[in-house]
Amino acid sequence: MTGFFREVARRVFAQELKDSNLTSRDESDQYAPQYVLTPTGAKVNRIFLVGTLIEKEDIGTDSEYWRGRVSDPTGSFLVYAGQYQPEAAQFLADCELPAFVAVVGKTSTYTTDDGNVLTSIRPESIQQVDGLARDLWVLDTSKQTLERIRAVEAEEDPDSKLAKEHYSTDTDYYRAMIKKALESLKEGE
Amino acid sequence: MVSFLRSNTFTPLSSGLYHVALYFGTPLYTIKTTKRLEVERMKQTAESIRDRFLKLGIDVPLEDIESRLDELITKFKVPSNEAQRSVTNYFLKKYSIPKNEFYVRQAEPQLTKIVNISEDGQWANLKAKVAQLWENTHESISQVGLLGDETGIIKFTEWKNAELPKLEQGESYLFKSVVVGEYNSRFQVQINKNSSVEKLDEPIEVGGGDFTPTAREAELRNIADLVGGQWATVRGKVVQLWENSHESIEQAGLLGDQTGVIKFTNWASSELPDMEEGKSYMLKNVVVNEWDGKAQIQLNRSSSIEELDEDIEVRTSTFTYFGAMVDIQTGSGLIKRCPECKRALAKGACAEHGKVKGEYDLRIKAVLDSGSSTQDALINRELTEELTGLSLDTAIAMAADALDPGVVLDKLKHELVGRYYTISGHKLDRYILVDSITPRTSLDRELLEEMLTELEVE
Repeated sequence: MTGFFREVARRVFAQELKDSNLTSRDESDQYAPQYVLTPTGAKVNRIFLVGTLIEKEDIGTDSEYWRGRVSDPTGSFLVYAGQYQPEAAQFLADCELPAFVAVVGKTSTYTTDDGNVLTSIRPESIQQVDGLARDLWVLDTSKQTLERIRAVEAEEDPDSKLAKEHYSTDTDYYRAMIKKALESLKEGE
Repeated sequence: MVSFLRSNTFTPLSSGLYHVALYFGTPLYTIKTTKRLEVERMKQTAESIRDRFLKLGIDVPLEDIESRLDELITKFKVPSNEAQRSVTNYFLKKYSIPKNEFYVRQAEPQLTKIVNISEDGQWANLKAKVAQLWENTHESISQVGLLGDETGIIKFTEWKNAELPKLEQGESYLFKSVVVGEYNSRFQVQINKNSSVEKLDEPIEVGGGDFTPTAREAELRNIADLVGGQWATVRGKVVQLWENSHESIEQAGLLGDQTGVIKFTNWASSELPDMEEGKSYMLKNVVVNEWDGKAQIQLNRSSSIEELDEDIEVRTSTFTYFGAMVDIQTGSGLIKRCPECKRALAKGACAEHGKVKGEYDLRIKAVLDSGSSTQDALINRELTEELTGLSLDTAIAMAADALDPGVVLDKLKHELVGRYYTISGHKLDRYILVDSITPRTSLDRELLEEMLTELEVE
């Protein structure tokens, strides 16, 4: 299976994903994966997140097409599941709100008329989990985001450099985001 | 085969003036010189046909051959080579000799030295010593091993249908009419049903030394240095024994030393003692081969096993990985395995044994993801049951209730995907064969405080 590798599921907070507007794709190959480069230099194709499903709505016209909103300590992700994600769509149809959910999926971007890039997630899997899984994810994502912030500051690798160039990343802003996320773990102690 | 005595008596001829001429020794005055030459040629042809049949142990009366030839050539104006073939075929049929057998023998292979074997499909006669006999794994093969002469060694395969007596290691033979084949750009000889073997009294010297295992002990090597296509001696610890039910395999598992870990297979026919997990051994004269780009070792009849007193340290044979389970792949959950080889069935059929009545098993092919890498993991039934509390019997019942084994997979996904685990086990190709899996059950408070402190300071 040379040439095949599985895309790593990146850990990015909702706020950072929302701030992302740089997409890249090898234009010569229509099957090349599409990536979203985030302000801290995460090159995201697949994403793993755990959060709270707070809204769901069937926005389909002919067939069911579910939109779910999953919140984390920094914002929320939009998850869309239709006939091509039958398991995820089924989950959204059946589950009760609110619920802790773990989502594995691919990012997909949409550019609005006024040039805004909206990033949503096409889930490969949605599973209901417990609060511990959510906390573990927040800690994990904080740690990985902080590592990326350090890499951006040091301009360690091409992705970090590109992120800094494109976004003029304000690393303090993202440090504050992480702090907010981590503090949410201390509440209720 | 029936053999015929040459007839000494004059047999009345069915046709032909020439025969009369021949047998009375004097050409008839009516025969012209050209005719006389034709007669000579035909006589030679007849003799050569007769000789060939004699080699097969059949004595065809010369007169019969001649009369048939004469009829075709003289009466029916058939070209002499066509006539020769036609007459030959007639007698082959008469004596029930398969055509291919007869014609193959016509090739008259030359006595060849091993070094001169150079052509795929070439027929050869060889005087060689059976340097080594190997394990043979295929039912249509009678014997396989190495032949050697003073110029080299070559692999041989003797097919079952050759119906030849068993060759003995260390003995020398004259092999007649063996076929050269090419495989993986190496020549080998095949002994088939057209071949014959005669034992030689005088031993053939094998170039490059004595290849018999007793005389030759393979070099001691580090496991990390093993590459396919060699013999080796290794010292290592049995780090894992696998469940195996194939009758031709005695034991299979992983052997490790300070440099690495390798898969081993001990064939039942090796008649070697069993090894125990956790004990260290010296394995002498094992064959190293490569499968799917990975070296593995095989113990055969030439190998030996010695238990060692020491405990060999195995280098990082266990991998530990921490990450979130992001996928459970198809082929997980309640599966059926082939009762013969334990391979998972696809649509009720085994890749090796075809349609079989499968045996149920439970396993998980999981993908763990750390955020910077992914790791495939194979989780066996025991661990799956432990991890999920779902026993094989319950899984079977669930599947029966739902009329769909997919419900088991759904249940596993529901229980496991999205959670964080630490797994450890031996690495095989892209998989970790998991021997322990632990869910993360609490938040690393220390890490949390550390990160908060760092964020405060900056």
